[in-house]
Order: sequence, then structure tokens, then C-alpha cells
Amino acid sequence: MYQRRRTRLVLIAVTIVALILVTLDVRAGDSGMVHRARGLATAVLQPVQDGIAVIARPVIETMAGASSFFAVRRENEQLRQQVEILAERRRTVTDLERENQELRRLLLMQDRGAYDVVAARAVIIAPSSFEWTITIDVGSDDGVERDMPVVNGDGLVGRVVQVTPRASRVLLAIDPSFFAAARTARTGQIGPIEGRGGDPMIFRPLDPSSDIATGDEIVTSSYQGGVFPGGIPIGLVADAGQMDARLVREITVRPFVDFTRLHHVLVVLSSPVEPIPPLVGTPGFDFRAPDVPRFHDDTLNDDPISPDEDEDGETAETTSGVSATGASAGGGATPTLMTSAASG
Amino acid sequence: MIARTVMVAIMLLLALALQTTVFVVLPTGWFRPDLMLLIAVAFALTDGQLPGVRIGFAAGLLTDMLVALTPAGIASLVYAGVGYAVGGIRPYLAATSASAPLIIAFGSGIVGTATYGTIALLLGDERLTATMLLQVVSAVAFYNVVLAVPVFALVRRLAARFPLTGGTADEPVF
Repeated sequence: MYQRRRTRLVLIAVTIVALILVTLDVRAGDSGMVHRARGLATAVLQPVQDGIAVIARPVIETMAGASSFFAVRRENEQLRQQVEILAERRRTVTDLERENQELRRLLLMQDRGAYDVVAARAVIIAPSSFEWTITIDVGSDDGVERDMPVVNGDGLVGRVVQVTPRASRVLLAIDPSFFAAARTARTGQIGPIEGRGGDPMIFRPLDPSSDIATGDEIVTSSYQGGVFPGGIPIGLVADAGQMDARLVREITVRPFVDFTRLHHVLVVLSSPVEPIPPLVGTPGFDFRAPDVPRFHDDTLNDDPISPDEDEDGETAETTSGVSATGASAGGGATPTLMTSAASG
Repeated sequence: MIARTVMVAIMLLLALALQTTVFVVLPTGWFRPDLMLLIAVAFALTDGQLPGVRIGFAAGLLTDMLVALTPAGIASLVYAGVGYAVGGIRPYLAATSASAPLIIAFGSGIVGTATYGTIALLLGDERLTATMLLQVVSAVAFYNVVLAVPVFALVRRLAARFPLTGGTADEPVF
């Protein structure tokens, strides 16, 4: 009887403690005591778990490798076929590289491929099956900050959500709370992409009727000052989907990264991408707007096209006077086009 | 008493290390067994309600400290509750039954994981969907059954080596 009563008292006590923890964590968020305790636990347990991982992983991976012998044989045949295809594509890629360099010079775009990165090892994963996060062995001592992108050789891995001096926690791109701006590499259609746990990711193009097909590559987009640099590979379209009754099109994307085999990653230390400055005002930029017919405001209510105005020298002079400097004033169709091109 | 407490602490830390390092390289996708829950259930089944609640709470607290997105305290609450429930069922199970531990492991995997996910959902964790909840619950229950035999055998052996009422008159911490 005494034992049963004591058990109930203990159960009540631990329930109260747990509820206090929940309350503190929910109310205080990332600045609270519970958050700091979690950071401390991560920092303390990380070396222990790192040591166990170093010992255990090779053994288990060898066992897993032996069990996949038959799959390797089939994969070998597929790879031979891919080598033949890639040898053909190589010539095309060389031409594309030359074209790419030429276009970059033409557009006076900054090469944004050079980012400061820090290499890290993926040490542990979250203990809960409800959470798709990993802990890496670099932290604020290495310059890592919250929301920095994390990539590996295959593409986008995720972003940093918690930082301690020597370890950081990374939200993987497949977590349901992950969200990023993305675009199709082939057609440039933009839209948000989000994780769905164990299932493939979902990409929702802003234009649901856009040309997107199975096999298209999805990469990150830096529009609207997104946290990710543009052009990081995310995955391939597995199912192009159809526009539904809500006028939303959900496209299934299979990520390039194998999230169950994360060993080494790179944290991109560069700050979130700055909006691209407009081309107007760039040294060496000598854009001249083409002559476009333009009408005075007081003529808008009249017949818009009259032979006299077409031949009017004043009208032509005003139009040609729309220089690159005046583009931001929204003086006509061409400057507006340039503004949008510069911000894309 | 102290030896038992140390044994339980070491076991929980090792289980946590396995949970967060080794299981990810197994061919199970992202879904993994919940070893911490399984150990709490094993102690509850072996030693009864009180150790089930205490070890369940400790296992849950360790889990709570290593998750980043779900509010802390949920695992502590759920694992302690599961330990209490399994400890309460224990007197009605045949001690020599081979299937009872497997059924308990399966049922506790379903109830514990579903409760954890549901509470997280109620607390505003918008990442979780019903489909995902079903996937995780099924996977955890299945993998826990697979691991139940070695884990229960190990816990029984350790519990026999470090019994609840040892040479001292005081009750153990765990």
C-alpha cells in the first residue's frame, strides 16, 4: 500500500517537473534556460558520442556494405551506361561553360561562387524520430552562426538552428519545418520548397502552369534576400504533379543528398545573400534604352495614336532621353524591365 | 544502491549514444527504434512501477536535452507515464511468457510514440502530420519489437546482478 502511494507521488512529481519544462521551453523559446541546458548537454555529450561513432560506424558500415553486394553489381552496370552518356555530354558542357563565362561578362554579374566555408563532421543525429536534425563538430568558435547554410558535395543539407562554442545543430532540408526559396535550373521557375520528413520534398512553383517536367533539377534561389546562396543543388523532380483546385501545384522533389549517410559537410560562413544591386550605375555599364513611343499624360484620354505625334520630334526626343539613370523612375516599359532583371 | 544507480546511468548514456550515432547508418531510413523508451519499459517490466517511472523520466529527460525542435519535457512525461503503465501491467503477466515482452514492446512503442507526437502537435509543432505520425509510430513499434529480446535479456541480467533490495536496507535511487 505504501509502495503504491509512493509510486503515485513520484509519478505526480515527475509529471509536474515535465510540465514545468514544457512551459519554460514553449514560453521562453530560444533564449530560455531550457535552451541553454540543451546547448550544454550537446556540448558535454558530443565528445562521447563522437568517440562512439568513430568506433562503431566503420564496423556497421562494413556489415551494411556486405549485405548490399547484389545491389552493387546492378549499380555497376548502370554506372557504365552513365559513363558513356557523360562522355558525350562533356563536349556540350565545355561549350556551356564558355557561354556561361561570356554571359557573366555581359551582365556584369558578380561571381558569387566564392564563399567562406568551414568543414565539419556530422557527429550525432537527433534521438527522436520526429526530428530531422544533426549535430556537427563546429560552432561559434569557428565562426558559425544561426541560419547559415550547410551543404555537402551532393547539394543542400540544411541550415544551422542552434550554435554552441564547439558544436552546432543543423536542421536538415527534409525536416517538415525546413523552408527555402528554390527555382528550376532549366526554366528558372521560382517557388518555395519544403521538407516532409521521410518523404520526398515538395516544391510549389509560383506559376503553377509553368513548364516543369520530371527529371528537372531544383536549385536554391536567393530571391527576396533568402538565407541561401543561389544555385545550390537540391534535387530532381520525381513527379511534376498537376495544378489542383486551389490553383496550387505540388511537385515532388527527390533530394540529391543521402541524409542517412551524412559524414562531412560544409557550413557556408558568408552572410545571407545581399540583394543584387541594379545594373544601373555600375561602372562601365553603358545601357541605352531603345526608342519607345511615349505619350504625355494629357494625351492619354485622347486618341492614343495619331500620325502627327508619331512624327513629332519632341516625343521622340523625350523617349530617347530615358537613360539608364532614369530607369528607376519608372519612366516606361523598358526601365521597368531592367529593374526586374536586375533584381532577379 | 550506488552501483545500481551507476549501472542505470551508464546504460542510459550508452543507449543514447547508440540512438544518436549508430542507428542512423542502419538500413532503416530515418526512422529508428526508440531505445530509451525500450529500456524504460524493460526496467518497468522487470522491477515494477516505481523503477519504471524513475528510469522512464531519466531516459526522457536525456532525450529532451538532445532534441532541438520539440518542446523539452514531453519525452520525460511520456516515458515516465509508459513506465508507470507497464509496471502496472506487470503483475498480470506470466513471468515465463515469451510473447508478453514482445507484445509490451510493440504496444508501448505505439502508445509512447503516438502520445509524444500528439502532445507535440497540440503544443503547436506544425511539422507533424497524421501521415507522418503513423509512419513514425509504426516504424518505432516494429523496430522496438526487433530489439526487445536482447534489450530485455540484458536488463533482466543487470537487474539480477544489481537487485532493487540489495545488501543495504535503503531503497535504491532507481
